[in-house]
Amino acid sequence: MVNTQISKPDDNGWVELNMGPQHPSTHGVLRLKVKLDGEIVKEIEPVIGYLHRNAEKICELDYYCDSLIYFDRMDYVGAMNMEVGYLEAAEKLLGIPPPERAQWIRVVMAELNRIAAHLVWAGAYGLDLGMLTPFFYCFVEREKVLRIFTEVCGSRQETNYMSIGGVYQDFNDKIIHDILEFTEQFPKKLEDIFSSFVKNDIFIARTKGIGILEPEVALDYGVTGPMLRASGVEYDVRKAEPYLVYDKINFDIPVSYRKDNLARFLVRFEEMRQSIKIINQAVKKIPDGPYFNPKAKKSLMIRLRGEGEVYARTESSKGEFSVYLVGDGGVKPYRLRVRSPSLKNLSILPYLAKDTMIADLVAISGTLDLVFGEVDR
Amino acid sequence: MVELLEETTGKDGRRVLKVAKENLVQLMKELKEQGFVHLSLITGVDRKDKLEVVYHLHNLEKNEYIAVKTETLDERVPSVTSVFTSANWDEREQFDMMGIVFEGHPNLKRLFLPENWVGHPLRKNYDLSKVQYINMDENGEDYATFDPGDGW
Repeated sequence: MVNTQISKPDDNGWVELNMGPQHPSTHGVLRLKVKLDGEIVKEIEPVIGYLHRNAEKICELDYYCDSLIYFDRMDYVGAMNMEVGYLEAAEKLLGIPPPERAQWIRVVMAELNRIAAHLVWAGAYGLDLGMLTPFFYCFVEREKVLRIFTEVCGSRQETNYMSIGGVYQDFNDKIIHDILEFTEQFPKKLEDIFSSFVKNDIFIARTKGIGILEPEVALDYGVTGPMLRASGVEYDVRKAEPYLVYDKINFDIPVSYRKDNLARFLVRFEEMRQSIKIINQAVKKIPDGPYFNPKAKKSLMIRLRGEGEVYARTESSKGEFSVYLVGDGGVKPYRLRVRSPSLKNLSILPYLAKDTMIADLVAISGTLDLVFGEVDR
Repeated sequence: MVELLEETTGKDGRRVLKVAKENLVQLMKELKEQGFVHLSLITGVDRKDKLEVVYHLHNLEKNEYIAVKTETLDERVPSVTSVFTSANWDEREQFDMMGIVFEGHPNLKRLFLPENWVGHPLRKNYDLSKVQYINMDENGEDYATFDPGDGW
């Protein structure tokens, strides 16, 4: 009813168009109030908060170990990365470092999930631009990752696999065999998917030279992750401030200097190739030993007390995901604050899509890789 | 150089600068000139008798991290949007959730909740037992109400 209404032209001859919150190309519940001059976008006002649950408040009311499941539901296509982000902060605050084996397992799982998250993005971006075929190829490969997750921890998306002081289930030989099987066949499939995009003239026409984002502007707006690297800034938290065991792994940061939609596409695909490289190294290096810190046994978990302030950054599939945790010596966090990369990336949309065609607005907002569980929290 | 109230090191090894709120914008400008171009996060912390605002900054070239802290007794803090554009939505969110008024902000509206929502949820004295419902008016705008109405 309301979604399709177009207002009468104002003094400039601009009309106001309401996009969303149920518009299929907004990847969830993004509502855009767009002012149009003919087909040219003049002003955009994003309206968000439709998926707002105030996870920060819920986490303040819960024990440290309970907060984890709310992080799964923030970036629901990259839950492992969210768990890594929270635990980086919580383990530093509580003083319970995970054993070596758990750290390597976490790296493997986080990188597998990064691949799955980028595949979801690629498939959905194809849909935005009217390509149906790559979607199926992307989701077939993603399903293979989710099968591995099911094998390891019993659930597909909201895994709740990691916990304070380690992980819940150990890796066994079958899982390692499955992962190696996946990484062996995936690169070829990835190139198939890649060529189905870049050999398409329409795809190139809609991405090349559109949505130019200069590096200074990107930094000023706090944009991070593949968005920033596609603008030519070599900034990846995995290299800048290595967490877990990323400093012992050999990989590159993909950077593109094209600055446009196509650059963001290329950077994300190159990141998947690098993730495969990381997984192949990490799986072979997983050491023997405990996968759980005995100081954080399940029965002791709710008695963990933390004091002080910790700010921990991690690189999720969307960008710099960080958690600021303040403890007052009690069993619950005094204050928990989440930096969601999607929210910061969304804040640049009014700048990026100004003075473009309305069809390009969809092509640009697709490259932001928005997940609304994380934007609204 | 702006006069600092205190300089400490946090539990995570980051430098923490404490500054009076009158000098905040000046300090931010100086830090940006030193290379701290990436404002990562703005956090408001409710310390019951006062409100604390924490800014996390990152120097990309030297790979250095820093936290800037300031306090306010009257819920008012100067806005740093003139220095960092990324502060815009962060400050709106903190206004929404904590009720911190950022003076000089170009568009200080609630970010997630409807405009007429009563209270600021992340404050420690926020009453969780009072349920508010969100409804839509004829223009498609959301508004909050204590009356559940027919829709619920």
